[in-house]
Amino acid sequence: METYQIYSLTSAVLFVIGIGGVFASRHFIKKIIATIIMGGGVFLCFVSFAERDALSFADPVPHALVITGIVVAVASAAFALALARRIYQLTGEESFTNDK
Amino acid sequence: MKDLPTSLFPALLVGLPVLFATLSLFFRTRGKALVGLTGCLLTAGLSLIAFVEVTQRGTVIHILGGWEPPLGILLRMDSLAAVFIGMTALVGVFISLYAWRYFRAQEATTGGFPLFWPLWLFLWAGLNGLFLSNDLFNLFVTIEVIGICAVALAVLSGKSGALFAGLRYLLAAITGSMAYLFGVALLYGSTGTLDLGLLGQVLEPGTTTTFALLVITLGLMIKMAGFPFHFWLPPAHSSALAPVSALLSALVVKGAFYILLRLWMEVFGVSLTYAAGQLIGLAGAVAVIWGSWQAFMQTSLKLIVAHSSVAQLGYLLMIFPLLILAPGVTAGSADWLSSAWTAGVYQVMSHAFAKASFFLSAGIIIMALGHDRIESLRDLVGHMRITALAIGIAGVSLIGLPPSGGFIAKWMLLKGIFLSGQWWWAPVVLGGSLLTAGYVFMLLRLAFAPAREKEPFRPVPKSLEVCALLLALGSFLIVLPADYLIQFLESSEIFGSGIESIVEGGADGND
Amino acid sequence: MSVLIDSILAILAVYLALQCLLAPRLTQTVFIFFAFGLALALAWVRLGAVDVAITEAAIASGFLGVLFLDALRDFSFTAPNKRENLEAVHDPLSRNDTKSLLLPRLALWLGLGLFLLIALEAVWKIPDGGGLTAAAEALLPESGVEHPVTAVLLNFRAYDTWLEIGVILLGLLAIFAVGGIKLYRKPGVAADDPLLRQVILFFTPVLFLFGAFLLYFGKTGPGGAFQAAVLWGAIGILLHLGGRPVFSVIPRWLGQLLLTVGLVFFLVLGFLLMAGGGALFEYPPAHAGVLILIVETLAAISIAAALTAIFANLNQMKKEEPNEIESTN
Repeated sequence: METYQIYSLTSAVLFVIGIGGVFASRHFIKKIIATIIMGGGVFLCFVSFAERDALSFADPVPHALVITGIVVAVASAAFALALARRIYQLTGEESFTNDK
Repeated sequence: MKDLPTSLFPALLVGLPVLFATLSLFFRTRGKALVGLTGCLLTAGLSLIAFVEVTQRGTVIHILGGWEPPLGILLRMDSLAAVFIGMTALVGVFISLYAWRYFRAQEATTGGFPLFWPLWLFLWAGLNGLFLSNDLFNLFVTIEVIGICAVALAVLSGKSGALFAGLRYLLAAITGSMAYLFGVALLYGSTGTLDLGLLGQVLEPGTTTTFALLVITLGLMIKMAGFPFHFWLPPAHSSALAPVSALLSALVVKGAFYILLRLWMEVFGVSLTYAAGQLIGLAGAVAVIWGSWQAFMQTSLKLIVAHSSVAQLGYLLMIFPLLILAPGVTAGSADWLSSAWTAGVYQVMSHAFAKASFFLSAGIIIMALGHDRIESLRDLVGHMRITALAIGIAGVSLIGLPPSGGFIAKWMLLKGIFLSGQWWWAPVVLGGSLLTAGYVFMLLRLAFAPAREKEPFRPVPKSLEVCALLLALGSFLIVLPADYLIQFLESSEIFGSGIESIVEGGADGND
Repeated sequence: MSVLIDSILAILAVYLALQCLLAPRLTQTVFIFFAFGLALALAWVRLGAVDVAITEAAIASGFLGVLFLDALRDFSFTAPNKRENLEAVHDPLSRNDTKSLLLPRLALWLGLGLFLLIALEAVWKIPDGGGLTAAAEALLPESGVEHPVTAVLLNFRAYDTWLEIGVILLGLLAIFAVGGIKLYRKPGVAADDPLLRQVILFFTPVLFLFGAFLLYFGKTGPGGAFQAAVLWGAIGILLHLGGRPVFSVIPRWLGQLLLTVGLVFFLVLGFLLMAGGGALFEYPPAHAGVLILIVETLAAISIAAALTAIFANLNQMKKEEPNEIESTN
């Protein structure tokens, strides 16, 4: 097994754990962290292929995409966190349990 | 692709709204609105000029940084993109004018929501960027821009209901875009390119491609609220401010549909099977019936309109089974492809105009009454003739009665269904229209009914009502240039194309 | 040997991800999240992606972790009985619906298991697309920088990077849209904690210099605007915690300028290049290096300002002051 394959397989596992977490977790913060774990899986997938395609240096395109992707994911997560905290501030709720 | 004429318009269409969005940040309440509105008008004007440019020169491209794909990114404005950009401009300009007056009227009590303007301009830039994009990863960035703007606009009222709905919407959007991005990673790993045109040439069928198709489709279905991922849409769209609801339902959800259409037709041809088309069509059909029925059961105007969006988006998914041909049928012999494409484009446009008008009318009614419970619509005709007229016209287009844009969409869809022999979709189209007629006529009956008691209708600026009416009329006026528009659309490679499905192997369950 | 290290790292990442979501207390979740970020950063290093490792450690794990940590003040320490056990199996809230949820849960886990199997097969059987390494290598000399990742970020795919700088600003605007933020606390009393003061006095210049170093050497090696921005953003966060919130000390227009200058300069430069007959972001090869350095510096300033402002605004969303809520729009 090549090095990149260890990580690309891991990426699929992390991605699925993240999806499960988004659906099954209740607390807002856990849901948000689950999306970050999902993202971690996706980014690991990109970077593992970059290692596979290395010549004199690793493929720089996936690296650049992942840096962009991480920043975008963090911006979304910070926004989600702001929403969660504001909801808590207004209603004291920390999950969707009593919503609807 | 590289040999096509280049143009500066694609770059300007993304850059100009961003420039005005950041400029508006330097101003306070009224200045923000003024700069924002100026930006909106200029962007709309630029979009229409770019539209004319494409009608004259055909598909134009812009090679960003001068670096050609696969290393660089290329913006492509073909006639399909031009139509979507033109639609965004027309709908956007009326919503902007409405928003200007609407927020001004409430400035004293709410502060006038000046953040609406930079967020809406960023959203506009994101939408234009999405329609022009020809790169898988760039599409991801544009859908993230759109997603963040959409949720931020949806929670602008700051009420706790809107915040709950907004967080749900945001989590769904992030999950959807991460699923999409996982598919992008797999496609990049297996082909070494992100450019849609190149991908379509080099992509090989196989497990990886099929899985990428699955996660990308799932991700985009979440984003466009396709059944069964529609759960976030009704609360988010109904709890937002009126101009925002109009933007979200008329334009934002169409973005994800546009990518789905492009990717299925331009990239994933090798992996699509007849069954995949049928499955996504089924999701659309269930959405049509379920969404219409839910809309029929609601008691507040905005919830009716929001559930109706779920149904109307379902019609869009129903064109896919017509575009993915049964094994053995060649694209040359399938004479219904043009009908199916026309149905799709007209459904997008007529829904954008009609639904925007509907939500703007709902905003007027909330302004007049303080709430939108439908029993208070009694004698709407007596108090607000123009708004009642707008609701009537927009409703007729949603049902699909002639001579509205909705009629062309549903008629062409039925034509495609019968020509292709897939008669089983026909009852869904008719049933959806009947249910739509049910809730539209329920609203109209109330609007004409005599008032039981004196409802305090507060006066509402006439200009708001005119905006809603003009958008409603727009859903009829788009019929006039139909012949010309279809001829123009046929100049793009994608319009009228179909997927000749592979006989064995390939997709195992995509919806 | 290297397979062993990689396998251990991979298993560790998966274990931490699971623990992060299964931990009964939020505090644990957040701390395991830090560890998870660290494991991922090590994985990036193993895969030769040092830029990604720095970004991951700085933004995804570091900055975001700090935001979560800050949020814990609200969530986990109030009414511990009800709150912290929200996730626990024996939570009285969830006991009633355990039975009714059993079937959907089972379906969810079965579905996910199946999905995982297909996903594993898909990544296992992936054809070798070859990537774009060769293309990047061939054009690197024309890009104006020597480090391939910087070349892709700031030149080959500059459009994406420009949009991304926009996304960070948007993240801040979106947080404003949530409401309930008292725009930048008035300058408080400087921290009377002598230790904190010393930490700030020591770290401010160190972080600044290290950021500048990363920025400048992004041209030739790992580093660049984003990594530098986080370090500069950390200065803003430290000052905020020390009672000197940057945005309430400087004039309003300056704050707005800092937040937008990266995005606007990048765009205006692109437009000027277009006016000169090129495409958007088409640098003349002779000046590409200098232009990229200016763009990166201004982008780093804007990102740092945005990160500082995001932290400052989230930091003030406390539960205690429901009466003082006022809109900032």
